[in-house]
Amino acid sequence: MSQDQPRKPFLERIWDFFASVKLSFFLLLLLAVLSIAGTLIPQKESAAVYVRAYGEAGWRFISAIGLDDLYHAPWFVLIMALLAANLVICSINRLSLTMRILGKDPADEANSMRKPKDSFTLAGEPGANLERARGVLERLVGQSAQADDQGRTVLFAQRGGWSRFGVYVVHASVLVIMAGALVGNFWGYSGYVNIPVGGSVDHITLHNGRPRPLGFTLRLDKFNVSFYPNGMPSEYRSEVTFLEGGKQTHQASLIVNDPAEYHGIDFYQSSYGNDLKSVELQLIRKNGSKQDLTLEAREINQLPGGAKAAIQGWRERVQMGGMYDGPVIRLLYQGPKGEPQAYTAFKPGVNMPQSGPLRFEILKVQTEAYSGLQVKYDPGVWLIWVGCSLMVLGFFIAFYFSHRKVWLRLGPTGKGRTKVEIAGATNKNRQSLARLQSRLRHELGGSPKEAE
Amino acid sequence: MEALSNQILVAVTFAFLAASVLYLCHWAFKSKVFGWAASGVTWASLAVLTLAIILRWVASHQMGIGHAPFSNLFESLVFFSWTIAVIYLIIESTTWMRVIGAFAVPLAFLSMLYALTLDPAIKPLLPALKSNWLIAHVITCFLGYAGFAVSAALGAMYLATGLSKDPASPRALVLDNLIYQTVVVGFILLTAGIVTGSIWANSAWGTYWSWDPKETWSLITWLVYASLLHSRFMRGWQGKRMAVFSLVGFACVLFTYFGVNLLLSGLHSYATNG
Repeated sequence: MSQDQPRKPFLERIWDFFASVKLSFFLLLLLAVLSIAGTLIPQKESAAVYVRAYGEAGWRFISAIGLDDLYHAPWFVLIMALLAANLVICSINRLSLTMRILGKDPADEANSMRKPKDSFTLAGEPGANLERARGVLERLVGQSAQADDQGRTVLFAQRGGWSRFGVYVVHASVLVIMAGALVGNFWGYSGYVNIPVGGSVDHITLHNGRPRPLGFTLRLDKFNVSFYPNGMPSEYRSEVTFLEGGKQTHQASLIVNDPAEYHGIDFYQSSYGNDLKSVELQLIRKNGSKQDLTLEAREINQLPGGAKAAIQGWRERVQMGGMYDGPVIRLLYQGPKGEPQAYTAFKPGVNMPQSGPLRFEILKVQTEAYSGLQVKYDPGVWLIWVGCSLMVLGFFIAFYFSHRKVWLRLGPTGKGRTKVEIAGATNKNRQSLARLQSRLRHELGGSPKEAE
Repeated sequence: MEALSNQILVAVTFAFLAASVLYLCHWAFKSKVFGWAASGVTWASLAVLTLAIILRWVASHQMGIGHAPFSNLFESLVFFSWTIAVIYLIIESTTWMRVIGAFAVPLAFLSMLYALTLDPAIKPLLPALKSNWLIAHVITCFLGYAGFAVSAALGAMYLATGLSKDPASPRALVLDNLIYQTVVVGFILLTAGIVTGSIWANSAWGTYWSWDPKETWSLITWLVYASLLHSRFMRGWQGKRMAVFSLVGFACVLFTYFGVNLLLSGLHSYATNG
């Protein structure tokens, strides 16, 4: 801005700032550079990981500015919001210019012919050639307008004006994708659930650890893993049934890459494993008397004689150096009169240290396979796909179509012939304009250019 | 058939080396004969490379683990080489500027050379990789990478042949436009590659974007090229700046492709044990 011009009002200056391509350029590069930081610093790890890698002070700095979850840090989101504002304001600014260009009166355009780049002569007076020239122009380019230029006739036609909207389609698509991500963030959720074969669930665990009811029941009828000849797993498959009010409403097969959807909630095959079903134990009292017990997992087992026991946890296999290698069960046992007490059971024949007056030995462990499912509800995902499609479509329009204008001027040569001059203009893609002009020349009957 | 395919791949690597040398001779000695020979060898290499990829595809089906040969680092490098050759030859046959070959074809050779250092065994696909979106994702990404590779080759040529001293010359303008055109091709295909990757991730893991290092670096690359395209609307960002920018962009592509697998961990790190 030069010195003697009055300063623009504050709001207008802010508007101009947001309307500049320089700002877009700067913000795009800034986002790129900041994103690099998020790939170098581990994301969403526990505090201990950062303290180990960067020390106490480093961790305080990282957590203070949100580098441990950079892509969701307020200032990162703010920069994306600035980019969105830049996009909107820049587009509004340009759109008025585009509308002015497209709204130009063709008659005015015909009156303002560009400098011709090509000319040739045809047999016959201009009047005799005019209608044919108009026909060719309208067939190859589009509707024509006519003007007089000192006894000569100018024809004007244009095509591809709509392609000027391509850039707005691209800009809109970015906003649609951002909107889809926001919708998913605010109204969507994701979690997981493990279902034993034959078992059912009516709620899932969200990734923040809280349970969430599904509103229906999901039963796992069958789970199967198939392998390649070399032992690599080839496919995990869960056969599931959806139930509402005890009635089967839908059945589906879940395999990796092929999720099932029910009431807008998507279920993905993600893992599998073994859960404890029941365990047979031998209770050994101080006096040497023994008793066989069977404990069901996930239940408080009422035992003969008035005692109670429940499984607290288990590991299918624990290796403790050379001391022990086998299953471990943690349980709570309450005698007929006493207080509940925690015990740890091992395989028989090993002398592991025991707490409490009793000893439990594992006779038999019964497991059941479970299937692990990821669960997701994302009402914004369709906006993402609409945005992505619009973006690719917009790129094709913006990069591969152009607004081309063509002028033909027909004038007498004085020898009973017509001089035809061709001029053109385009907003991009000069080669395509050149091709259009040489086709016009050819179809109008001009001699090949080299011959001139 | 797998063995045959691998033998052909070795031969193609040497053929790309020969073509690179011939293009360099064409550039150094300004001799048309070298140019014709270079083009001939490149066309032949591409044809034979296509055959080797098809043979590998067939071989995997004969082994009972049939899948498109785009599943690990070895296969992707071979395909990358193929896409570079395709995009370069399209440009050669529209512009007849064979000097570009001296910069582009060595990239196809280097990609093959790197592939030959890896284990070429055909392995079965992990469940998560069994998706038609994998094929769409790999084809779009690698054609996009190849577009960027050729634009970087053009950028290097712009700087190496001293065109930056005379940016208004017809040759400089043509090259500047070619850099722009190949970036546009790469950009549209990279976008399509990110989209197909998102669709695939959404069907495999239930999330279309998880900010893992590979995804993030593809976004970084996308942002760099998006800013490059916007820079064309700002005065003065053509010619030499465009050439330098195309090299910076390709450095991002290379880091997305190799650096992430070698230095950072994430979903795509399957390639490190490939």
